[in-house]
Amino acid sequence: MAQTQPVAAPLTDAALIAAWQGGDEQAAAELVRRHARALARFLAGAGAPEANLDDLVQETFIRAFRAVGKFRGQCLFRTWLLTIGGNVLKDAGRRWARHKVVPLDEALRTPDGDPYEQAVAGEVEGRLTAGLAKLPRMQREVFLLRAQQGLEYEDIAAALGTSAGAARVHYHHAVRRLKEYLQ
Amino acid sequence: MNEHDMQDERLQALARRLGAGAAQRLDIERTAAAVVRRLREQAPATPAWWLRPVWLRVAAAVVLMLGASVVYRGTARRAPAVPAVAWPPDEGLRDLTSDQLRVLLQSLDQPILPVLEEEGLVSSQETGLEDLSSTQLRELLNSLEG
Repeated sequence: MAQTQPVAAPLTDAALIAAWQGGDEQAAAELVRRHARALARFLAGAGAPEANLDDLVQETFIRAFRAVGKFRGQCLFRTWLLTIGGNVLKDAGRRWARHKVVPLDEALRTPDGDPYEQAVAGEVEGRLTAGLAKLPRMQREVFLLRAQQGLEYEDIAAALGTSAGAARVHYHHAVRRLKEYLQ
Repeated sequence: MNEHDMQDERLQALARRLGAGAAQRLDIERTAAAVVRRLREQAPATPAWWLRPVWLRVAAAVVLMLGASVVYRGTARRAPAVPAVAWPPDEGLRDLTSDQLRVLLQSLDQPILPVLEEEGLVSSQETGLEDLSSTQLRELLNSLEG
């Protein structure tokens, strides 16, 4: 009878964080692999130009790993990481404003796929991005954490230092204003 | 797309797609390698022993104690001296009226009745300076002078 090897369960984020704190660089790399795409989506949704996305993702992880001693597991590691991403994007926005950096125009990019579908999707996505840019930061981040990342209000509230009820209110304000903007 | 009919679900579906293309184009392995390299390059140097938190806390405690000591000494030096009671010469007591003697006795910062009883000047039924005669008041002052 063939013996089956037990499948090793993937390490939890907490285990990877502990390993990184113990000096394991591969644990840090694994955390990047696990969360970088979600972080990139969040940053792009919050208005980060694609040309700067890689830099912003890297900077967010660097800050997170430097401050990981302050992470007490009050929320998911990913939620905590995304809120750091929000701060990194805000700081970058200030720098860009000071140096008058004009992000690469969305239209100049050449994404893969059917050009017509891309154009339609790009138009709606562009309008949603523009609508999000008009929201207060709290509403924008709560909306993205909830609608884009599918996180629970309790987790969002813990990461943003607010209550679940307040997070819910921010979300509903954001939805109402985005609907108005898109109509 | 009839945007007037856009419901929450459609908005959420749209939000879920937001940034997906850009994220998909991100080279995750390259990003992970870059993060690890930057972490290695920017590893914080081990602080000198005297910059470690425990020593900083000890130094802060010493500074606080020294500061408190300086403040206490300054306060003690500036504390107003207890106003000295102008103690009249023995013969001066004779010239004072009963009211002046009472004022003088009241200015003394010590309980009077126990002294009076101890000296046998008053009995415990007598209640205060108001009940004493001029002679008793003078004797009391003389006894306090020792």
